[in-house]
Amino acid sequence: MTKKIPLIAHDLKKLYTGFLIAAVVLFAVTSILTEFNIFTLISNGDAFWSFLTEDFLLPALPKASRIPGVLSSVVVTLALAMSATTVAAILAFFVSLFGSEKVSPFPRFAKVVRGFATFLRNIPALVWAFILFSSLGIGTGVGFVALCITSFAFMVRAFVETMEDVSQDCVESLQAVGATFPQRVAQAILPSCLSGFLSWFLYCVEVNIRASTIVGMVGGGGVGLTLFSYIKSFQYDVALSIILLVAVMVIVVDQITARLRKEILK
Amino acid sequence: MKPILKFEQVSKNYPNGVHALKGVSFEVQEGEFISIIGPSGSGKSTLLRAINRLIPISGGTVWLDGQPVSAQRGRKLRELRCKAGMIFQNYNLVYSLSVLQNVLHGRLGYMWGVKGVFGMYSEEDKQEALDLLEELGLSQFAYNRASDLSGGQKQRVGIARAIMQKPRLLLCDEPIASLDPSSAKTIMDLLHSMTQKRNIACIVNLHQLDVAVRYSTRIIGLSKGEIVFDGAPEDLDDSAIERIYGTSRENLMMGGNADDKEDTAHCA
Repeated sequence: MTKKIPLIAHDLKKLYTGFLIAAVVLFAVTSILTEFNIFTLISNGDAFWSFLTEDFLLPALPKASRIPGVLSSVVVTLALAMSATTVAAILAFFVSLFGSEKVSPFPRFAKVVRGFATFLRNIPALVWAFILFSSLGIGTGVGFVALCITSFAFMVRAFVETMEDVSQDCVESLQAVGATFPQRVAQAILPSCLSGFLSWFLYCVEVNIRASTIVGMVGGGGVGLTLFSYIKSFQYDVALSIILLVAVMVIVVDQITARLRKEILK
Repeated sequence: MKPILKFEQVSKNYPNGVHALKGVSFEVQEGEFISIIGPSGSGKSTLLRAINRLIPISGGTVWLDGQPVSAQRGRKLRELRCKAGMIFQNYNLVYSLSVLQNVLHGRLGYMWGVKGVFGMYSEEDKQEALDLLEELGLSQFAYNRASDLSGGQKQRVGIARAIMQKPRLLLCDEPIASLDPSSAKTIMDLLHSMTQKRNIACIVNLHQLDVAVRYSTRIIGLSKGEIVFDGAPEDLDDSAIERIYGTSRENLMMGGNADDKEDTAHCA
């Protein structure tokens, strides 16, 4: 037997080979463009290593008098994420009712609502923060608005999709009994989508905990700003302990929300 | 006698170019039990939804209890919809709510403002819903979540919700298509007895010819959006069946038919 029996179709095999070649070429081209070179990283390894061991390690605690301030800044970050997500979720619920052709009383405008949300969402929270800081000045309130805008836009999309998945049938049956739009919302859409909405809300809290740290760094306050001020004053060892603190905070919140989501979707 | 429902040259064209209904005309009198049969895509569902304007029609007039449905908006439309209860193939309950809440949804069409939105039903309505559940043999499930019920039980809740509306007309969109044969019989018996007792006219979309023949006082056969048969079940002969389904009787799966049993025996 000279000819091997192929396991997959010939065309498919050619396609896979093509993809592999394309991926390699793409890597080569992009590496050249970004001037990334694994060897510079290795040759500069010493500097990097000494920075890591001498400046960063071991993590040091900030001065005792500063500790309550650092902890309260963590609370500010958590509060920022929670409140921004909550306000955004409430607004997103009302807007998303008009973003689904199947639910909205004005189906023709559904596309406009979704398009608007998509536009807002595709601008990252960090960019919103910079835009708002330049126009309104820095502060936690402005960070709040920046987080609110992106999570609002994200939740509008997520809520619309949840509603289209879940409530099509019961909306139709409530239409048939002669229910008004507010009745349909309160008696069919809300009860059947609530668990889905809450799950997306908790996911958004998770995302916003991370985002609020970043937004804080550029002027939104909270633990991000504290961290940034230690980095700027070259106290890298203290910065490291704050980074660890942020990591612990994110992990704890992730665990809690993950468990809650699992409970809710049961 | 004044008809409860009257179709006058009703047509429906979907934006994708499908002509679901082509000049359909018929009348429904009080107390009639009508089965609509026809192959998938013949316009049965569209016809049923044209009655309560879940689907707006493109031409002609639907008269429900003497009023033109397509001319109505807002409050008037809601009042008309109250007169036509509807039962769905997929039950269309709100599964996260209790059985009782689902039954009481039938009253929403009569309620206004905050009361309807927050589901503050009157004590009489609640009592009536409980009585209705008792009549349908579901009283022990009144406070269960609707998702806990079996298919046949869910459809009984659907019937209770429709009856709560105090309708003049009951529209059933393939009510037994997702049910096992025993539950299907229960549902058809209930539909028959509940509508007869309350003098409600009933229109049922069906795929099961034997069921249509057994229960209805009249059968309407639909093919490609046109009525090709309209008469008593006894008059549904082989040529009528061929007009409706476009194929002869032997090529159809007929439940409870002697030939059918024989065929199965051969296969085995």
